[in-house]
Formats: sequence, C-alpha cells, structure tokens
Amino acid sequence: MVEILSGIQTTASALTAERTRLDVIAENIANAQTTRGPDGGPYKRRVVVFETVLQHALGRTTPGGASATVRVARIQTDPRPPLLVYRPGHPDADANGMVALPNINVHEEMADLIAASRAFEANLAVVKNARAMALQTLAIGKR
Amino acid sequence: MSPLSPIPLTRSAADWPVRRMDGPPGLPPVTAPAGTPGAAPAGPTSPAADPFGQLLQQFVSEVNQHQQVAAQTVQALQQGQPVPLHQAIIAMEEASVSFQLMVEVRNKLLEAYQELMRLQI
Repeated sequence: MVEILSGIQTTASALTAERTRLDVIAENIANAQTTRGPDGGPYKRRVVVFETVLQHALGRTTPGGASATVRVARIQTDPRPPLLVYRPGHPDADANGMVALPNINVHEEMADLIAASRAFEANLAVVKNARAMALQTLAIGKR
Repeated sequence: MSPLSPIPLTRSAADWPVRRMDGPPGLPPVTAPAGTPGAAPAGPTSPAADPFGQLLQQFVSEVNQHQQVAAQTVQALQQGQPVPLHQAIIAMEEASVSFQLMVEVRNKLLEAYQELMRLQI
C-alpha cells in the first residue's frame, strides 16, 4: 500500500484520544453540582489516562520505523474526597445538614479543557502540514 | 453501435471496481474524466503479460480503495454512526491526495507519449 500521508495514523490516534479527553472534561463540568450518582454518593471526577501503542507490535511497520500511536488506556476516578458544604435545606443533606458535592473544581476543568483543545490543535497542525508537504511534493513534476 | 453491447457482457465484472471510483460525492468531479485514462493502458494490452500494466492497475485499484474507504466513512458519519469527524476528513484527504498522485502519474505518461509522437523522423 502506498503511504500517501505518512505518520497520519499516529496523529489520527492522538486526535481520537484528545477527543475522548474532551468528552470526559465535559462530563466533569456537567456534573460539577451532581449530588446523587448511581452509587448513591456524589459524582466523582474522572480522569483519562493515555498510553502508547507501538504499531510495530500490531504488525504494521512504516518506512520510518515503528510509529507509536496513542490511545486511552482507561478512565479512572479522582481519589480526592468530596467537598462538604453546609446546606440544611438540600434534599441530599445528612443529619448535620452537610451536603457532599463532587470533588470538581470548575477552574481546573477549564484549564484542562484549554490543554486538550491546544493538544488537538497541535495534532491538526500536523495533519495540515503532512497534507501540504504531500501536495508540494506532487508539484515537483509541474512546470 | 454493435460493438458497444457485447463489451458490458464480457467485461462487466472487471470494470466495476474501476467505475465505482466515480461514486464518492465528496470529491471534485475531476474523478470521472481522469479515472478512465489511468486505467486504460492496463485494459487493451493484456495485463498478464505486461508487468508495467499490472503495476498501474494495482496502483489505480489502491487509489480506488482509498476513495471507497473515504466514501464509506463519510456515509457512516452521515448515518449517525459513532465515527470521529477527523477520521472522515483524514480519509477524504488521503483519497484526494492519492488521486492527485494518480493524475500526476497519468500526466507524466501522457507527456512522455506525446514527446515520442513529436519525434522527427
């Protein structure tokens, strides 16, 4: 198979991974005030963990050697304890009037969101440049 | 008029993959006119005895495969299947660039042929 846009698989995998990260951040922001989860407690912040996959291990090699793609290894919960707030009127308040809010800091999530967005942008720039390089190479034959 | 009817009967199966290349709607209409000349050298000269023709045919079928993958991905995306958007765009870009490579090869071949035909004898 002719390798038209080399290294594009690596970038595509990174784009997918960053997309998943964005989804998880959206989930965290959306549930920042959720006091009731499926297990009864407040929503727990979730974090994505990326891992490298060697294409070589999958039996696919590229001319430049083994290219490492990235994928989401797992999505795990943040172990930090929930935030206790005194709200006696809340339906989920305990006997002392304390409500357990999720361990989410929206500012932290926004910073993560910006990081994910920038990483996505960087990978898009790679795609754009790979395409531009391929087209410029094709233009060698033109007069 | 008569030679037109027997051709589809004998060659329909072999012609299908080449003709389907015109299908993907996401690409410019250059596909239709340029697709046939690329495949033409392999057709009339019997491909089994012609290694260069075979090579060309293989290349054209690879380009065709790229186009089909792009069309399928875009179709899946439009049907609401969980296909990442960037994957569809990358597939389309790959199809587009490989098609342009094919057009460049075809241009070079044609140029060489015309150069030969211009030879003074």
